[in-house]
Amino acid sequence: MSASSGFRLSRRGVIAGGLAAPLVLPSGIRTGHAQSINKDRIILGMTQEPVQFNPLLWVNAGTENIPEVCMFDALWDVDENGTFFPNLAAKMPTKENGGISPDGLIWKVELRSDVKWTDGQKFTAKDVEFTYQSIMNPGIAIRSRSGFDLIKNFKVVDDTHIEMELSKPFIPFAWAWQNMHIVPHHLLSKEADINKSAWNAMPVGTGPFLLKQRVAGSHMIYERNPNYHRGAPKVRQFIHKFVPDQTVLYGQIKTGEIDYMGLSGVPNDRWTEARAIPDRVLMSVPQPWVQFIYFNCGKPQFKDARVRKALTMACEMQKSIDDVYYGTTPRTLSYLQPTHWAYNNKLKDYTNDPTGAAKLLDEAGWKIGADGIREKDGVKLKFSCSTTAGVPARQNTQALFQQNWKKIGVEMEIKNMPASVVWGEYTTKSQFDTLLVAWEPTVGMDPDYTARCHSKQIPVKGGVGSNYVQYENAEVDRLLELGVTQGNPEDRKVTYGRIQEILNEEVPFAAQLGTVQGNLAKKQMTGIKTSGYTVNCAWNIHEWGWA
Amino acid sequence: MLPYIGRRLLQSVPLLVGVSIIAFALMHLAPGGPLAVYTLNPTITNQDIERIRIVLGLDQPVHVQYFKWALGMFSGNWGNTFFGGRPVLDVILERMPATFLLMGSALSLAILIGCTIGVLGAIRRYSVFDMLATSGAMIALSFPTFWFGLMAIYFFAVKLGWLPSGGMNELGEEGNLLDTLRHLILPVMVLALVITAIWSRYTRSAFLEVMHQDYMRTAKAKGLHARQRLLSHALPNALKPLIALLGIELPALFSGALVTETIFGWPGMGRLFVDALTMKEYPILMGMIMFTALFVIAGNLIADILIAALDPRVRLS
Repeated sequence: MSASSGFRLSRRGVIAGGLAAPLVLPSGIRTGHAQSINKDRIILGMTQEPVQFNPLLWVNAGTENIPEVCMFDALWDVDENGTFFPNLAAKMPTKENGGISPDGLIWKVELRSDVKWTDGQKFTAKDVEFTYQSIMNPGIAIRSRSGFDLIKNFKVVDDTHIEMELSKPFIPFAWAWQNMHIVPHHLLSKEADINKSAWNAMPVGTGPFLLKQRVAGSHMIYERNPNYHRGAPKVRQFIHKFVPDQTVLYGQIKTGEIDYMGLSGVPNDRWTEARAIPDRVLMSVPQPWVQFIYFNCGKPQFKDARVRKALTMACEMQKSIDDVYYGTTPRTLSYLQPTHWAYNNKLKDYTNDPTGAAKLLDEAGWKIGADGIREKDGVKLKFSCSTTAGVPARQNTQALFQQNWKKIGVEMEIKNMPASVVWGEYTTKSQFDTLLVAWEPTVGMDPDYTARCHSKQIPVKGGVGSNYVQYENAEVDRLLELGVTQGNPEDRKVTYGRIQEILNEEVPFAAQLGTVQGNLAKKQMTGIKTSGYTVNCAWNIHEWGWA
Repeated sequence: MLPYIGRRLLQSVPLLVGVSIIAFALMHLAPGGPLAVYTLNPTITNQDIERIRIVLGLDQPVHVQYFKWALGMFSGNWGNTFFGGRPVLDVILERMPATFLLMGSALSLAILIGCTIGVLGAIRRYSVFDMLATSGAMIALSFPTFWFGLMAIYFFAVKLGWLPSGGMNELGEEGNLLDTLRHLILPVMVLALVITAIWSRYTRSAFLEVMHQDYMRTAKAKGLHARQRLLSHALPNALKPLIALLGIELPALFSGALVTETIFGWPGMGRLFVDALTMKEYPILMGMIMFTALFVIAGNLIADILIAALDPRVRLS
């Protein structure tokens, strides 16, 4: 008898397990390949989860815009063509209709009188005033006061009229109010500390949906607001689902577990495959971000504009798009997406020209030294390039540019760091040499770029903005100051066109590509409007429905 | 026994204080911080950032921040999250059940199967079964969890459509036990695969060591039945290292499985930790570290008590 004779796997146990399995499996089959559509609801899948539902306090654009657009409204919105249209306001203030005074200093806003908060209270001018006061309250962690800090005097005329006096004319002011949705005075004014208010997790708004349930780490369920002032949404339920892994999220739109794949979209290498999936539509959605190489003009290597231009000339920009991003992203030569109304289509792409780059560096006095690296006045043309660590596409882009620059005698070292490090003081205090960064325009999607390139906006020189590249140009300063006062879009187009020309020549930041996201939706969905003027893929959620 | 437990719990107080100081200091020493996320906003000014720094209390010296946090902990206030402003304890507690369920199921299943394979492998040493089990364990340990996870999703969810690819419930099916069970299958299978491999190896070695002891030979010479030899003699002795291992693994019940939870979209502690780490949510990170430390202490204490109960030679004094 062997020592093991008393120990055998029980056949009874195996059979029992086998019998139990069908209890579990058949119901699973329903979710997998059935692909039936529940037209009562829409499920939007994203890789990130919102944690802040107060529209004044969120920080993660794209993700936290979803609760915002479901539950709140702004005074006005922006459509897919970049045109403002009224929401809580009765009409869009303009100089023509008298909403904006001829000198651009007084903004008169008429509000809708038929709007109610979802708890039944009436929306009034007091709510707008309270929102403004909260934004300016130093004790509240508001993500930005840009534009609001220009309000010299805020006056509630009556329940449906407000007047704002600005300290200087500022046409992008409309964007400030578009970015900050209105919060209820009657509920939040009672809170001792809005930052820690329980209301933030279960808010009451005027929006098309009401938050019914939140399952942390999993999803949020919204129910239709039947009294919504722009018409009740077409579906009873909207579900915002969080699936942290992009590949798995892509799998869920294939299996039909979600109806719309938003942030972070279909991976670039899967676009061809995604286009071939039956009953799905792949949408290339322009995002506000443009990816740049940021040159720190405060460093000795980059003081001379010719060096920055030569380095840009040496880059194989189109190749980086084709090879690294599978040709999915558009090439842009400016800080705006090529689809933006103010984009200067006459800009010339002078990249992928190593010979010209080498010649320009020679002219600028940067000669190749004994070690093969260019130098001038004892300064070597070598530097680091940083971005968020662990993003393969950006690393591959850096590697390509590293090779491009090596060919012209320039040494670049890749020095990537975690996001919380690289975008902290390393960036804001201009400690970097170069960055590979994707950033959006500074005031909503207005072409104004004062914060990024006006000489008075350099933080390390006492400025208040985000001109981290330390770029200074008197002509650009003048044009930026002019652009924000021009009421006529055609005049503004000329002004910003010239700014883009100068930036394309002096290159404080070399534009590589305009980011796009491949959103995938079930073909039967209706009402989806992709827009390059918002990061929020569900900006018109109240119009979404099913065919 | 009770005085021993009381003494051990008292000893854990300075340990917890030490852990909290080291964790707090390391978090603040690490480059970067929670304010970096605000710099992604192009319209934010340095003055805005300073204002938010004050609102979040990050302008104070680190030791003052620590004492405020420690005082809060002592009085039951775990603080509020930076992003969302919610009480930290609420944020942690709402994730705990999911992780307990996932890790509890995976650990129980893996220990059961792993121990069985280990015992059988030890008894039938160098048999075909033993060699297959050993090779299987090596394969399971060699491949990364995320690969197993993605493969499981690919075959069972995408290709066959038998099981859901992620989450803990179908939408609207919260509280439906059968539905939760279906969602548990894939993540538990993936997690259990690796844990089973570990436990089968440990169990095999533990039993092999015991089975060659003199007392086992004596028991056999006495004519005891194999089952009796195993249950009465081998098992209590072989269990000791396994109980110590269980004590070490107990904190995983709380801390969760980062990779598996991310792949399967399981709303547990692992994902909360990753998110908090990315955003530098110091209050959540501190809360989780303290909870984990408590579980480590509890796990070791329980293991010590169990070992003493199994082995009369061990005295808890």
